[in-house]
Amino acid sequence: MTVGSEEIGERIVELLPRLRRFARTLSRNQHDADDLVQSAIERAWRHVDQFEAGANLASWMFGIMKNAWIDNRRSCARRGEVALPEDSGEHPAMDPTDLNANLWSVSEAMDKLPEEQRLAVALVLVEGLSYKEAAQLLDVPMGTLTSRLARGRAALATALGKGTNDVPVTAP
Amino acid sequence: MSYDDETLMAYADGELDEVQRAELAAAIARDPELARRVEQHRALRAEVSRAFAGVKELPIPGSLEAIARGAAARVEYRGKVVPFPAHPARATASAWRAREWIAMAASLVLGVFLSWRLLSPLDSDILVVANGSLVAGGALATALDSNLASEQADDGAVLIGLTFRRQDGGFCRSFVARESAIAGLACRRNDEWHIPVTHSVNLQGGGMRQAAAAMPPAILMEIEARLDGEPLDAVAEKAARDANWAVR
Repeated sequence: MTVGSEEIGERIVELLPRLRRFARTLSRNQHDADDLVQSAIERAWRHVDQFEAGANLASWMFGIMKNAWIDNRRSCARRGEVALPEDSGEHPAMDPTDLNANLWSVSEAMDKLPEEQRLAVALVLVEGLSYKEAAQLLDVPMGTLTSRLARGRAALATALGKGTNDVPVTAP
Repeated sequence: MSYDDETLMAYADGELDEVQRAELAAAIARDPELARRVEQHRALRAEVSRAFAGVKELPIPGSLEAIARGAAARVEYRGKVVPFPAHPARATASAWRAREWIAMAASLVLGVFLSWRLLSPLDSDILVVANGSLVAGGALATALDSNLASEQADDGAVLIGLTFRRQDGGFCRSFVARESAIAGLACRRNDEWHIPVTHSVNLQGGGMRQAAAAMPPAILMEIEARLDGEPLDAVAEKAARDANWAVR
C-alpha cells in the first residue's frame, strides 16, 4: 500500500522543525544544518517508494538524514576538504540564528565528538528518543548505544567545563 | 552496592525498569554522592536539550517548505543535476517497470542456460555447507573478505553492517545479501566465514542503505550476545581487513 505523495509532503512539512533541530545538532551552524535538511528530504523523495504506509515517518527521515550526514562527511574527507575554521567569516559560527550563547558552546562541543557519539547524544538528549529507538535507528545493539551515549556525555561534560572527575567514563 | 556510570545515566534518563529504578532510588536516598552523579547527568541532558530548543521555533524558509512538499526541487543524481519530477512516486514506478523488464529478459536468458539454478530456492551459492556447518561462499564470501562498510556502494549485492571482535577473539560481520533477501551474521574461523544465524529481510525495492541495512532484531540479539566491547570503527575495520582478518 502506498501513501499519497501529497500527504507525505504535508507530513514532511510538519516534521521540518524537528528535522532542522536534528540537523543542527550534526552541523556547525544553521546554514549547514539547512543544507543537510534539504539533501535528506531530496533523498527521501527519491526513495519515497520505500516508505511503507503506517511506518514512522520521523524515524524514516531521521535515518535518511543520518545517512546523508555520514555520506557527506565521508565524501568531504575523501576530497580532502576541511571544515571552515570558526572565524573564517563565511558562515560565522555565531550567526544571527544562533539563539543563545548556550547553543554556541554546546554546538562547538558536539562538533568535537566522534560521529557515533554525536549521533547518540543528538538522538537521545536532544530529540528525546528512547535508548531502544535510538539503537534501532542507528542499527546497533542497545549496549553499544548506551556506551556511546555515556562516552559522548562524559566528553561533553569535560568540554563544557563540568570536569572529568565528576562524570567518570567507566564504572569506579 | 556500587553503580556504574551507565546505570546512573539510564536512571537519569528514565530508562531503568521498575525494579531497578526503585532499588537505585533507595540507594540514592542514602548516598549523597550517588545523588550528585545522577543530578549531573540530568543537568547535562537539560543543558544540551535547552541549547537546541530554540532551533525548532525558527521561522522556516519558504524554499525548504517547497522542497519538503517535493515540488520544484532539483536534485543531484550520480554527479549530474537532473530536474526533480513533479510526481516522484509515479516516476519511480515507471523506472521500476523498466528495471523489471530488464530483469525479466535477463531471467529468460538465464533460464535457457541455467534452468537448474532457477529451480533452487536460493538463487546463488552464497551459503554452502562445509564439514557440517554453514559457511559463506561465492559473492558473500568475497564481500565479507574485502568490503568495508565505510566505502561500500549503496546498491551492492552484499551490504556489510557492523564488524566486531567476538568474545573468543575472532571477527564477526553482519551483512545483508540483497538477491536472497537475507540478513545474517558471519564469524571468521579457520579462514572461513561461518554463518551462525540468518534471517529473511524485506528489501522492498532496494537501492538505499536506509532500507537495506535494517537489521532484524533477531540478528542484533545475536550480535549483542557475541560482541566484545565496541564494534570496529572505519579505521579498525580497514586494518582488520588488510590483515586478512588475522587475530592478533
